[in-house]
Amino acid sequence: MAGNPKGQVNGPFTEESRAELFKCAGLNSAGYDPWGLNLETTERTAKAVMWFYKHYFRVETTGVDKIPRGRVLLVPNHGGQLPLDGMLIALALLTDPKQPRLVRGMVERWFPALPFVGTLFVRCGQVVGDPDNCRELLARDQAIMVFPEGVRGSGKTIWNHYRLQDFGTGFVRLALENKAPIVPVAVVGSEETYPSVMNLSWLARLLGTPYVPVTPFFPLLGPLGMLPLPVKIQIHFGDPIWFDSDPDQPDDEVQEKVDLVKTRIQSMLDEGLEQRPGLRVLNKLLGR
Amino acid sequence: MSIVITGAVGALARIVARKLRNEDDLVGIDLRPLHSGRRLYKSFHHLKRYNQRRAAEIFRSHRPRALLHLGMRGASARSLNARYTQNVLGTRHLLHLCSRYGVERVTVLGTYHVYGAHQHNPVNIREDAPLRASQIFPQIADIVELDHAVTHFMWRHGEVSTILLRPVNIVGPSINNQITRLLRSQRCPILLGFNPMEQFIHEEDAADAIILAHRGQHTGVYNVAGEGALPYAGAVRLAGGRTVPIPHVLAYPVVGALSRWRLTFPKHLMDYFRYATIIDDGAFRADFGWEPRYSLVETLGSLQFPARHA
Repeated sequence: MAGNPKGQVNGPFTEESRAELFKCAGLNSAGYDPWGLNLETTERTAKAVMWFYKHYFRVETTGVDKIPRGRVLLVPNHGGQLPLDGMLIALALLTDPKQPRLVRGMVERWFPALPFVGTLFVRCGQVVGDPDNCRELLARDQAIMVFPEGVRGSGKTIWNHYRLQDFGTGFVRLALENKAPIVPVAVVGSEETYPSVMNLSWLARLLGTPYVPVTPFFPLLGPLGMLPLPVKIQIHFGDPIWFDSDPDQPDDEVQEKVDLVKTRIQSMLDEGLEQRPGLRVLNKLLGR
Repeated sequence: MSIVITGAVGALARIVARKLRNEDDLVGIDLRPLHSGRRLYKSFHHLKRYNQRRAAEIFRSHRPRALLHLGMRGASARSLNARYTQNVLGTRHLLHLCSRYGVERVTVLGTYHVYGAHQHNPVNIREDAPLRASQIFPQIADIVELDHAVTHFMWRHGEVSTILLRPVNIVGPSINNQITRLLRSQRCPILLGFNPMEQFIHEEDAADAIILAHRGQHTGVYNVAGEGALPYAGAVRLAGGRTVPIPHVLAYPVVGALSRWRLTFPKHLMDYFRYATIIDDGAFRADFGWEPRYSLVETLGSLQFPARHA
């Protein structure tokens, strides 16, 4: 694991970082990009959730400086029922004092149907996970964040914590097509924020949601049980991986590259867990 | 050059006619009577339907070299039958006349509504994207069918240079359509918790785009958008109005019931105020060198004044 500026200072935006962000965002005269990003709303939202970032989840990052400038795909593990991991990664990069980056997270296709939340996500730069959106954003040299595990990763129970689920292959083809590097990201701690012991799949089908988790606190404690546990979260950014080959190569060759990225993330997760004795013991008890 | 302009009574056609009349002989046709602005056209013909026999006589007598088909009936019109007759049967008949009487250039004004408003829509929809509007709202199948009729005509009649434009919401001081009526109202309903991105083009920019398309050489289908996109609530504010949030679970049944009596916005267009349909007009800009002259702020600000005649 690369050496870390532990407890990196993530503070409010500086004039320079704000100017840099505005320059890269490509906004129109009304202050929006075609996806609906608005930097004022993003900034207000970032300030509102900064307390959780600093004091509730006590986020630590390593390897932010490894992220290349220009187009890039961030590929993290996914866990913890809600996309808190995505939000914290985006916040870590947005408020990075040296090189603030706006990360465009790819969200599930049903997100736009959610009132308020869907709109807020769009204003903060998150977009529907559609290959066309990814291509457009990479063409504009933006940083995009994809979760190849999808809901398989976020909805997994504690019995599968830190075991990467099946990865889709689309992100590697996107990287090949757009000649973009892939930065593997390991998020340690997010799995424990909502320790789901089982998924009420019948209720999920009824409600039209991908899963309905049961945790030791939810639904037992009602709305209070929906509060994420205050687990310390560490985000490790790995060395960028550059693939330079034909984007139309057969699936098995693409699968090899997917497996390489997956192995890299898994080893970063294992290393990250080694540094967290508490989580390590917990996961050993759960059979990991 | 003699040019036939359909929908000649409409504000957009008048702006186009004002820009063209010094250089060309304009023949206006419409299903509505022309009460003012007769000087814009060399001759004007009031038809009952575009597919009636008199339309052929106009083509026979004037022998136009170009057709500007701007007479599409919008998705907001309630009578499905009237819309089908005008948009599908009328357009097919006019295209047939163009091929029969040696018209060289055909420019058809369609709409971006053909792409449909859907939560899965990617941003920057290009011309080759599926036209899912009729799948989502069967009520506007006629607009998709018009689009298909024109593309089919392009394919079958290569001798007629044909271009189909799919513009975003056209607004401006003289345009009186569903969206301008909505934005001009002091209190605009908005679905609570939803504020999708919308695109608008100023009427002058839309007219310039039509003229560029008419005078250009390229054929095919082109999206036409304005400067960019902004949230619907922002558009309402720039137009000088205020938003009135309504929960969507309430809005759909209420609007559905009221729109039967023509008291509100048609229900089948409500999804355009829930999900974004953002199109990419890069191909039109590249092929025709078009750039909008009006910014979003100017475009929507022009609605703060009462509607005036073009």
